[in-house]
Amino acid sequence: MEITYLEAIRQALWEEMDRDERVFMLGEDIGVYGGAFKITKGFLDKFGPERVIDTPLSESAIVGAAIGAALMGMRPVVEMQFADFIACAFDQIVNMAAKHHYRIGEPVPMVIRAPYGGGIHAGPYHSQCPEAWFFHVAGLKLVAPSTPRDAKGLLKAAIRDPDPVIYFEHKYLYRHMKGEVPEGDNVVPIGKAEVKRKGSTMSVIAYGAMVEQSLAAAEKLVPEGIDLEVVDLRTLQPLDMETILTSVKKTGRALVVHEAPKTGGIGGEIAARLAEEAFRFLDAPVVRVAAPHIPVPFSPALEEMYLPNADKIALKARELANF
Amino acid sequence: MNVMVVMPQMGESVAEGTVVTWLKNVGEVVAKDEPLVAISTDKVDVEIPSPAAGVLAEIVVQEGQTVPVGAVLAYIGEAPPTEAAASPGISKAEQSVGVTQAGPVVSPTAPRPQTWHSPAVLELAKEYGVDLTRVKGTGSEGRVTRKDLLDFASRRSIVAAVPADKRAAAFERADRDQILPISHLRKAIAEHMVRSKQTAPHVTQIHEVDVTVIARYRQANKEAFFQRTGIHLTFLPFVVKATVDALRAHPLMNASYTQDGIVIKKALNIGVAVALEDGLIVPVLREADKKSFLTLAKESADLAARSREKRLRPEEVQQGTFTVNNLGAFGALIGTPIIVQPQVGILGFGRVVKRPVVIDDAITIRSMAYLCLSYDHRLIDGAYAGAFLNHMQSNLEQFDFAILP
Amino acid sequence: MPGLDLTPVELLKIYYYLKLTRGLEQRVITLYRQGKIIGGVYISAGEEAIAVGSASALEPDDVIAPTHRDLGANLMKGITAKEYLAQYLAKRTGLTRGRDGNVHYGDIRRGVIGFISPMADLLPVAAGVGLAFKLRRERRVVAAFFGDGASSRGDFHEALNFASVMKLPVVFICHNNQFAYSTPLQKQMAVENIADRATAYGMPGIAVDGNDVLAVRAAVAHAASRARQGEGPSLVEGKTMRMRGHAEHDDASYVPPALLEEWRKRDPIDRFDAYLREQKILDDITAKEIAERLSKEIEEAVSFAESSPFPDGTDLLEGVYAS
Repeated sequence: MEITYLEAIRQALWEEMDRDERVFMLGEDIGVYGGAFKITKGFLDKFGPERVIDTPLSESAIVGAAIGAALMGMRPVVEMQFADFIACAFDQIVNMAAKHHYRIGEPVPMVIRAPYGGGIHAGPYHSQCPEAWFFHVAGLKLVAPSTPRDAKGLLKAAIRDPDPVIYFEHKYLYRHMKGEVPEGDNVVPIGKAEVKRKGSTMSVIAYGAMVEQSLAAAEKLVPEGIDLEVVDLRTLQPLDMETILTSVKKTGRALVVHEAPKTGGIGGEIAARLAEEAFRFLDAPVVRVAAPHIPVPFSPALEEMYLPNADKIALKARELANF
Repeated sequence: MNVMVVMPQMGESVAEGTVVTWLKNVGEVVAKDEPLVAISTDKVDVEIPSPAAGVLAEIVVQEGQTVPVGAVLAYIGEAPPTEAAASPGISKAEQSVGVTQAGPVVSPTAPRPQTWHSPAVLELAKEYGVDLTRVKGTGSEGRVTRKDLLDFASRRSIVAAVPADKRAAAFERADRDQILPISHLRKAIAEHMVRSKQTAPHVTQIHEVDVTVIARYRQANKEAFFQRTGIHLTFLPFVVKATVDALRAHPLMNASYTQDGIVIKKALNIGVAVALEDGLIVPVLREADKKSFLTLAKESADLAARSREKRLRPEEVQQGTFTVNNLGAFGALIGTPIIVQPQVGILGFGRVVKRPVVIDDAITIRSMAYLCLSYDHRLIDGAYAGAFLNHMQSNLEQFDFAILP
Repeated sequence: MPGLDLTPVELLKIYYYLKLTRGLEQRVITLYRQGKIIGGVYISAGEEAIAVGSASALEPDDVIAPTHRDLGANLMKGITAKEYLAQYLAKRTGLTRGRDGNVHYGDIRRGVIGFISPMADLLPVAAGVGLAFKLRRERRVVAAFFGDGASSRGDFHEALNFASVMKLPVVFICHNNQFAYSTPLQKQMAVENIADRATAYGMPGIAVDGNDVLAVRAAVAHAASRARQGEGPSLVEGKTMRMRGHAEHDDASYVPPALLEEWRKRDPIDRFDAYLREQKILDDITAKEIAERLSKEIEEAVSFAESSPFPDGTDLLEGVYAS
């Protein structure tokens, strides 16, 4: 049955809470109100106020408390109301959660759900893609599903994982993206990218909302004889270089697409890794399609110009194909 | 910036060396590590690989000249040769004393020629032994793309699909001997031949065949055939037809010996060796068993012509399952051909000559030829090969002319 | 009179840990001056009573979130002198196997959360530990230590508010030692007592003489008892003085000598020693016996640490993740 990306997240949370009583949720407005995006609507009735905790407006305390509970063997799932506010909890995430296992050797099994991304006309503080802030930090796992199937399977994997996982759920995809989700307890492994479309002209490496745009670009280019292979990273950290390299070695060309600004983005790391590890296979420069290095603008007219989309991807892909 | 090529120190006591042969001319594109110049010292004779990719911008030391170790022999630049030649950077006087510092050979405003290549293209060119100056580029500003290179490599020769190996045969050279550069095609053929001989224990078995009836038929009908079809009627299609029939009856000869097991090929794709000026190529008659005599004749003539014009498509040199080699084209009566890997057999067909032959205790004049079959003894034994040749022989001696148009 | 509920054995145990703390730290200063210590040396001289007094009020399965001046509490929770010194010498036998230094160690199995450098970070984490206890209906308490400087951080506010709103079993314990590095109290805060802030969070706050180990113990015991009964967190402020520099590289020339002289007269160990002798619990013979035990324990720890190997780096890149 086809369900929305949002429903897939909801189902994963529901099933994991049902399956494992160590799992509990904490966040702002997630209980009585059901969350800013209504993902946890109905959870309070089913699981009660001790497992669906409405917290004070204290991102750092929420994350810090999740770390403490995780150290004691619980499986906290934190909802950041918007990924933009994760900056308020940055210190707890990068200094406490990320480094704890390397330093002390104790696992910190927790999930931070981060509703992120633009396309919803919400301006600089409700549209950011902050994944690169955390990409640099050793000890965090970062996932960013692009389909309902992956959204559900990766959230289950994240909740069961012994490490701190930031789960980037794309707000634009919430109700816009529908897809088949397999019946039953389907876990999508963390650390594995997936080729969403096979092709020969170049490898398009994308994640999150940009996977759908890349696939649309691929269809646009079919009549021109340009055949895109679309690699969906799914997990950003640890990066599945094996899948990326296999694809790029095959096609000889790489186009990296992300919605976050280009400067200092994950695409830069992928481009560098390709130069280091697949230089001899490259037939053209690695090219990036990403947002400009500015805050996310508010007005739809501006946001349209800001966000990468299928047309912009197709344009770059065409240039790269003709290189 | 141009790069110096210097006389290397080839042993601790060596103080000087002599340029024997320049393997590239000024203005020619040279790949990094491609042999550039042959030198001779009192210890050793070697080819110096180019230190950089680019264009041989200037030769400083001419053939026959002896210079001290460290002297600049040449410059590799990025500029077109005309720009380099016009450069005021290095005077003749400086050259004569063996300059060791690179001067500005290239005018900074000179337009950049399409002599650069992507890492993938350089790597594959090395692997396939392709001279990139011969590849037509379809990329941006005429750049050779990876696809261009792969297309070229597969079009050029089936043997080119094999990476060239390092060539290091020691040789002694007398004073007046000359060293010629080895073309990439030559290298590729050499490597494939060595590999085939190392892979398959070859046995060559030779049967004599009486092709008198075919010779007579050909003599009588070739003009009419040409008028009717536009094709010169040669012995080749007869041999191919007989080969196809024999292969159909002896499937082990249309096979590959692999680690996973013996692969019996369903398709009968007959490679036909064609001599080129600088080597040879083996275009393939695909699904030869499904083609009429006329089609085989037409296609083999067409493939041969396009081979010589280097106009074959990549797929036309791929997936052969057995090869026929017309030894007679250059006068040979008998040959021992080398198998094209990973096939298991190759048939050489010698020159057709009239010879006195004893038939029914009487000496008669017949048109005779030798069928020389080399086979892979890992898979094929003498009896099987004999049966195969017998099959061919009876086919050719009692050819069914009804199949001709 | 505080301490009257304690048996002589319990009182001598407190005495022992006060002396062990000071002895070990003095030994570390010696090693530091011999060039054997890698990195900074953080000493709790003069404020041992807060760490030891607090820890003595806890149950064995309670948890502590210490600062860098809580060696006494760590030792009482079971961290050994050997582990402590091996950590300072950056040896493989230290609790972080050379991955982190000096006072950054912990072991959740013994109820010690590993300290990290950003001040006040462990306060939200401690709240999370308390949350886990509450959700699991365990009658356990977490003692969260911090300094006067840390009370200026947002995490202090978030943690106290969070814990109080949720009535978590946390005892927040402040070492008010007058200086945060070189910054004196009056530049840190505009209120007289850190304990006064408790009112703003709706929890009890009490300021005690931090150099009176039994007064500290009594205040923490009371707060812990409240917490254990589900009445929520408390704030205990121990007034004390940092008798050395922030770390041993700091000569603390910014501290008025007269102030130090005044506090030296109130040394917590001297005071407790006098109290025990007055109570006829300690005499010269017992004191000598304890001194010999301490000396043996410390010197064994020194030779253990010194003879321990440095990490060989074979696992340098491992353990970033738990899986």
